[in-house]
Amino acid sequence: MTRLRGAPEPKAVPLLHEFSYVAHRSLDELLSFLAHHGDETQVFSGGTDLFVNIRAGLAAPRYVADLKSVSDLHEIAFNEREGLSIGACATVNELIANDTVRDRYAVLRTAAEQLATFQLRNRATVVGNIVTASPCGDMTSPLLCLGTDVVLVSVRGERRVPLGEFITGVKTTQIATDEIVTRVIVGTGRIDAAGGYRKLKRIKGHDLGVVAVALIKSMPAVRVAISSAAPTPVLLPEFGADAPVAEIQASAQAAISPIDDVRCTAEYRRFMVDVYIRRLMEEVPA
Amino acid sequence: MRHITVTINGERYERDVAEHRTLLHFLRDDLGLTGTKEGCGAGECGACTIIMDGRAVNSCLVLAMEADGAALETIEGAAAGGELSVIQQAFHDHHAVQCGYCTPGMVMSATDLLRRNPNPSREEIIDGIEGNFCRCTGYQQIIEAIEAAAGATGTAAGKEADHA
Ligand SMILES: Cc1cc2nc3c(=O)[nH]c(=O)nc-3n(C[C@H](O)[C@H](O)[C@H](O)COP(=O)(O)OP(=O)(O)OC[C@H]3O[C@@H](n4cnc5c(N)ncnc54)[C@H](O)[C@@H]3O)c2cc1C
Ligand code: FES
Ligand code: FES
Repeated sequence: MTRLRGAPEPKAVPLLHEFSYVAHRSLDELLSFLAHHGDETQVFSGGTDLFVNIRAGLAAPRYVADLKSVSDLHEIAFNEREGLSIGACATVNELIANDTVRDRYAVLRTAAEQLATFQLRNRATVVGNIVTASPCGDMTSPLLCLGTDVVLVSVRGERRVPLGEFITGVKTTQIATDEIVTRVIVGTGRIDAAGGYRKLKRIKGHDLGVVAVALIKSMPAVRVAISSAAPTPVLLPEFGADAPVAEIQASAQAAISPIDDVRCTAEYRRFMVDVYIRRLMEEVPA
Repeated sequence: MRHITVTINGERYERDVAEHRTLLHFLRDDLGLTGTKEGCGAGECGACTIIMDGRAVNSCLVLAMEADGAALETIEGAAAGGELSVIQQAFHDHHAVQCGYCTPGMVMSATDLLRRNPNPSREEIIDGIEGNFCRCTGYQQIIEAIEAAAGATGTAAGKEADHA
């Protein structure tokens, strides 16, 4: 290799803070590892949030634990009694490719297609998106509309928490350091609902949402959830089928608390929430 | 340090690797396979796109450890036997390369796209390379090159999208 005279010797700079990589075969092994080392471990599946955070110095775990090595966490399964179960390692592209999701939980697919890029969606998981708990996470609002529970396990046992309670603030959740989310369950209550997802971005290409609205018509009810307009995605109280658009807009404006930030002003966020509610009410079939 | 075995473009590699090393840096710095580029290092630009066990991924956000036992395809494998692949030839013919920094990632994304969808519409091509930034060409020539490679130019799908 030729180098300019006096140029420093090239050296391989490790990108990431130094950590140990652990990959357990069974859930029991992973959970007992977390019972001892949970406070110095980050579990991951796609790593599309975790490795970006580590690189930016926002996370510095001693261990990273790969969930993909644990069997039984990958499945997307459906039955009429429980609904749709999305395993911790199911990627966003696997969700998009799933026939039941396409046929019976359409709003999920519409939103998933707007998350990041094709390559990222091959790694990014639905569960990772929820646990990250970003105000702009694209999976949270549609899952809130549909009614979703989060299943958490640890050596202490299993608990099931509604998604709206699981997320407690900007990037914070109820999860304890010894727990993982094994799956989320989207109930059957709003199955086959028509729905839509509108996401405002700064550019035409892939971008995080500046503000987004998910809306489903699960007759006789209309359900609306809004992202990037409050510390957590907000689910509005349910509306009747014939609720006027203005009533839904007023309820939305009372429920959100957007801020001015680098991506958008609060005023524009409020404005676009009204626009998207009107458009979605028009374009989503009853 | 951990010992891993990876198959890259059909060739087997065994190495000791630091556990926090990204797959991108493993390819470039440990194996000298510098065809795969680093743009942002954070999943935004797609310069590092490779195909891992049949799926396009951003290798800057994958750990080398995760590739243990995997089969990878990188740009070095595209010109098998010194002959440009159909997609590489189309990039050449359609002036889809200026500085060339985005090209390896573009070619890998296009390769993956045409495997999934051999006859994509213009819209589908644009979606397929959504995760690959090019700061030079303005994308037009790249899209045309992929259309040509797919034989999509002039097909019903291509025309419909053109006039949409
Ligand atoms: C370039 C780029 C563009 C992006 N664009 C978008 C976008 O448009 N919309 C969007 O919503 N997001 C976007 N993201 C964010 C990210 O891709 C998503 O949030 C993704 O769904 C995260 O999934 P993951 O499997 O990669 O998470 P990981 O990085 O593996 O994990 C994320 C966090 O959740 C924890 N975690 C993951 N799984 C579990 C589990 N089962 N139990 C307990 N904890 C767990 C991890 O410890 C970590 O803290 C983008 C990211 C990048 C890099
Ligand atoms: S270097 Fe990997 S996406 Fe930019
Ligand atoms: S040719 Fe220069 S970035 Fe694409």
